[in-house]
Amino acid sequence: MSDPTNPTNAGRPPKPTKSQKAQARAERAAELIRQQQAAERRRNMLVVASVVVAMVLIVGVLFFINASRDSVDDIDAAPAGKSEWGLTIGDADAPHDVIIYEDFLCPFCGQLERESSEDLNRLAEAGKVQVEYRPFNLLQADYSVAAANAFAEVLEKEGPEVAKKFHDLLFEDQPSESGEQPGNDWLLEKAVEAGADEATVKAGIEGGGQEDWVEGATRAAADAGVNSTPIILLDGKAYQEGRTIEEIADNLISELE
Amino acid sequence: MRQWLGLVARLVTGGVWIYAGAVKLPDPYASVQAVRAYELLPSSVAEAVGYLLPPLEIVVGLALVLGLLTRGAAVVSAVLFVVFIVGIASVWARGMEIDCGCFGGGGFDPDARSSYPWEIARDAALLLASCYLVWLRRSRLALDNLLFRRTTSPTGG
Repeated sequence: MSDPTNPTNAGRPPKPTKSQKAQARAERAAELIRQQQAAERRRNMLVVASVVVAMVLIVGVLFFINASRDSVDDIDAAPAGKSEWGLTIGDADAPHDVIIYEDFLCPFCGQLERESSEDLNRLAEAGKVQVEYRPFNLLQADYSVAAANAFAEVLEKEGPEVAKKFHDLLFEDQPSESGEQPGNDWLLEKAVEAGADEATVKAGIEGGGQEDWVEGATRAAADAGVNSTPIILLDGKAYQEGRTIEEIADNLISELE
Repeated sequence: MRQWLGLVARLVTGGVWIYAGAVKLPDPYASVQAVRAYELLPSSVAEAVGYLLPPLEIVVGLALVLGLLTRGAAVVSAVLFVVFIVGIASVWARGMEIDCGCFGGGGFDPDARSSYPWEIARDAALLLASCYLVWLRRSRLALDNLLFRRTTSPTGG
């Protein structure tokens, strides 16, 4: 730019022509618009960023509330072998204990039983684990109640060994949750097949004599925070390592081996 | 006209998201179980996804209904629908019978086989609506129009 205090005008560039002036004006105006646009872009970015941050915060806070409200991690169940509502196999001094909450009708329970029952029997016999099965009425179905009732009756009258056999048979031939479910005749048949004396358990199975037991077991499960089945507790903690029941069962067995 | 259509797409898609998220939010455990039932994710990941989905659905739904960062929300919405369609198609292909858990519920469902096609069709329609919003950029009665009002003339870069 020229220096107006210099009287000699030496080195002064030639006077700008009209068109050059107009061009300079246009450039200044364009510059102003560019600045405004840059300011607008900054403002927009700031708005986008703050809205995104707010959204992420909301999602994050709800995520953590959700995670802390979930109940599987704080199931507070009676230790294995110490419940009034279960069937225990294996030695109390075994290095691990497993508790399985189940409903006789729940398909995933059936799958878990078919995948794990034999191995758990073997490991319990070998003194590697103590397992307590805690059947209860989760599904609020007639069969869930009838089967648990029959189980309790067999357990009381015939002892844990026959009851375990009965329990395994019920899961081996588990009726479908969607179809029609068998009644007490079928349950009695299975109990006899498991080694129960028909005359001893008939009245209790057919008359629903253990329905108080079923109610008690169901209440105890609810009190412990169990609201789905199957729930596996390994050494008191919910165990769910695996994508499928099959994987979970396999992983559980290999932890116990 | 297109912008009004965009408003409709926003309200429908956003409404579905809000409903789906709100139904699942109160029961995180069921939500985790519903994700597990797909047997696609390792347990701990399924757990995180089960906790994350309901809040995410609600926020995406609200953003769509309000027209707040519509394009971004529509992209997330479209991605989620693609994931859901893949998930449902995969259980269907594996012959499993589960409730999709889209609006709560989840787990075994004896009538699942007959609902898969309709669930996929619904998600595909909503996916289309989401893609339309991504393409459209602007729609009527959106907060975006207030927040990102042009303060300069649209000349140059």
